[in-house]
Amino acid sequence: MDNFELICPAGTPAALRAAVDAGADAVYLGFRDETNARNFPGLNFTRQDVADAVDYAHARRVEVYVAINTYPQAGNLGPWQKAVDDAARLKVDAVILADPGLLAYAAKRHPDLRLHLSVQASAANVEAIRLYRDAFGVRRVVLPRVLTVPEIAKLNAEIDIETEVFVFGGLCPMAEGRCSLSSYATGLSPNKQGVCSPANHVRYEQRGGALASTLGGFTINVFGEGEQAGYPTLCKGRFVAGDGAGEGPAYLFEEPTSLNAMDLLPELKAAGVRALKIEGRQRGKAYIAAVVRAYREALESFAAGRPVSHIDLQAMVEGGTQTTGAYTRGWR
Amino acid sequence: MTASLTLGPVLFNWPVDRWRDFYARIADEAPVDTVIVGEIVCFKRAPFFAEAMGDVIERLSAAGKTVWLASPILVGSERERAAMRDLVESDAGLPDGGLIEANDMGALALLAGRPHAVGPTINVYNEATLGWMAGRGAEAVSLPAELPAATVAVLAKAGRELGVETEVQVWGRAPLAISARCYHARAHGLHKDGCQFVCGNDPDGMPVTTMDGQPFLTVNGTQTMSHGCLCLAAEMNELVEMGVSRFRLSPQAMDMVRVAEAFRAVLDGQRDGAEVAAELGGLIDAPLVNGFYHDTAGALRVA
Amino acid sequence: MRDPDVAPNVFASDAPAFHERARRFETGLSRAGLGLVPKLGRRASDALLARLLRLLAERHPRAFEALREMPDARVLIEPVDAPVALLMRVGHDLSLHALPRGVDGVDETGADAVVRGPYARLLDLLEGRIDGDALFFRRELSISGDTALILALRNTLDGEEEMDLVADAASIAGPLARALPVLRRNAGPVLDRIEAARRLLPPPLRRGIERVEARITGVLPGTRA
Repeated sequence: MDNFELICPAGTPAALRAAVDAGADAVYLGFRDETNARNFPGLNFTRQDVADAVDYAHARRVEVYVAINTYPQAGNLGPWQKAVDDAARLKVDAVILADPGLLAYAAKRHPDLRLHLSVQASAANVEAIRLYRDAFGVRRVVLPRVLTVPEIAKLNAEIDIETEVFVFGGLCPMAEGRCSLSSYATGLSPNKQGVCSPANHVRYEQRGGALASTLGGFTINVFGEGEQAGYPTLCKGRFVAGDGAGEGPAYLFEEPTSLNAMDLLPELKAAGVRALKIEGRQRGKAYIAAVVRAYREALESFAAGRPVSHIDLQAMVEGGTQTTGAYTRGWR
Repeated sequence: MTASLTLGPVLFNWPVDRWRDFYARIADEAPVDTVIVGEIVCFKRAPFFAEAMGDVIERLSAAGKTVWLASPILVGSERERAAMRDLVESDAGLPDGGLIEANDMGALALLAGRPHAVGPTINVYNEATLGWMAGRGAEAVSLPAELPAATVAVLAKAGRELGVETEVQVWGRAPLAISARCYHARAHGLHKDGCQFVCGNDPDGMPVTTMDGQPFLTVNGTQTMSHGCLCLAAEMNELVEMGVSRFRLSPQAMDMVRVAEAFRAVLDGQRDGAEVAAELGGLIDAPLVNGFYHDTAGALRVA
Repeated sequence: MRDPDVAPNVFASDAPAFHERARRFETGLSRAGLGLVPKLGRRASDALLARLLRLLAERHPRAFEALREMPDARVLIEPVDAPVALLMRVGHDLSLHALPRGVDGVDETGADAVVRGPYARLLDLLEGRIDGDALFFRRELSISGDTALILALRNTLDGEEEMDLVADAASIAGPLARALPVLRRNAGPVLDRIEAARRLLPPPLRRGIERVEARITGVLPGTRA
């Protein structure tokens, strides 16, 4: 049987080379601007970087996808359309888009360019996915992290395009592309600016032995002395629910935890999933090399029918804990 | 296009009797033009309202309101899909002017080629997407809450050229996120499958406060909303000038008739928007916010 | 719990124990070297650091171009266990200054952001050995001021391949440049390496060798841990 394709993140050219060398089948990346959903300071690729990345990857039979997955700004479609044009010119293997208007542009202007539907489009059902296929010729959909594996299996039975699912990394508890939490606290959103809980609105504040992290002036967490700290991603913060008479501050939305679906490879294969995606374009090359290598080994074992030796990625994950997230019903 | 007032669907889990009474009073007293009904947050709540739905639609329609039905925000499971398909097929049964408002791309897909509306949880951020939707039969588009004035202006202008009405939410907590996970259940140590419908205890949602005691968000089952109550009363004239023709009031557990009357008076040029904001701010236990519109943090209020 | 930042445990398949030990050694050595910089006097130390920057810019043009393209800002990099902090100015006027630790610590005036932690961690950070998010997970590093500035600096350095500040710094410190590859290649007791370093160090650095030795072996009282 065909093995899964392993789709790996890169935030810098060094990370791209690390991913390619560690066994990626494809690497996804973004241009250095607001057209992609990881528009973080110091990250991402110039046009020349992408050209070099394509050369490096193609020479090693690895594909390059460009994510242009924010929602183009009204009255200023140029940068997004140019990003699609440049991606096509640079001969990338696919572009990952979310906005229907931009998908329509890409389908019309570049009929040979392979289109993937970004997780930011949050297409969670058969009808929605068929719409993107019929209207724009989308060839693959990255599924939102709201579906269980049995739901993915049912979905794949009814659609005739490929599905890609996240297997490792940061986990949005909210449906992606449909979340304005960051925007509410800071004015900057994943959909508009390609940022979530942006660093320029983050402050760390020492309070005696405790460390408080704030976002847009809202306290997202307070860590006691010796407690492992986290970046103040809004949905991974501690809050008080209700009238405060309950148990006190808790991780109301999600613990600082990372998705790891390595144990679910047989189920995902049976569910008809084509490609497995690792999250983390904002993570360093050390993380990318370790995680990609671990997943490559796991996929080789799985394809050969050997037991998947559980490679310890504990050191890589936020909060030191891992979850199978929405793929199992208990998460809900 | 004349400007009109829309009452959005009740997003909270109210007891069915309260829900029915609410719409009866809206039918009799509230000067709104369109009323959108439907349980769009949680599939599990829908059966409670199903029995009263026919009566409510009839009552509103008899009072001269245009009634639309809203589709669920998140559709993943087989049962949710089936419910969505049934809903989309039901527009033929709606009284004159009735439309389905799609809140998910799946529903939008099923509505292709028929007149329909697009709800605020579908991402319409630019004129290219608006144009694509117009070409598929969208007659009205309710814009996402996080859009700033400059974007609203471009979309309203494009909408007029395309013959699509644009709508902006001007009252009520802003919907911020949707999840497969139920945070109401989670906060009570429960699971979504065995949630005991704890969301029903909070008719205006469950407050979420920071560890420093600052009110921040509101949880409504699988939905997360703002704590601040979005109010664009003072911006209404500007919105009308841009070409926005529909103004949405999102129900809160408060006197929504009075809210509707106040916004109607602003729309009719009888009252000053800022004065209305000041009055309505006293009726809800939350600060009024308008930051999204003014291109800053949604939690802020810009004078 | 495993240490999320100690890259060699996870990445180096060959003789991790040796790598770790060698790394520890060169960390200690470079920290001691850094401690000597202000003793050269302000002008000489600035000149030395400017030379180091020029060399780094030649070896890592992409990262340094990116640092120059950043908005003008100053990051104070303060090793809590070294006598000196570094004030890095990013933007068009890229520069590096050594700030000695006084009785009241290091003067933070003029810094837009401060990153503070053990010298070894900071070296890992500057060399891009620590994963970006892991930086925030740990309490060993503390951050204040402009978080985005620190993130941008870290992302920029992480985008560089195999940055090796110890070797780069050593290469402007004369004969140490020749010693380092030898040190790294050869296994053996750490103090043997110090002997090697002692013989090879230029006179100004040699004067501080006892302190180097003491810090590495952790026996000198009065040094901040």
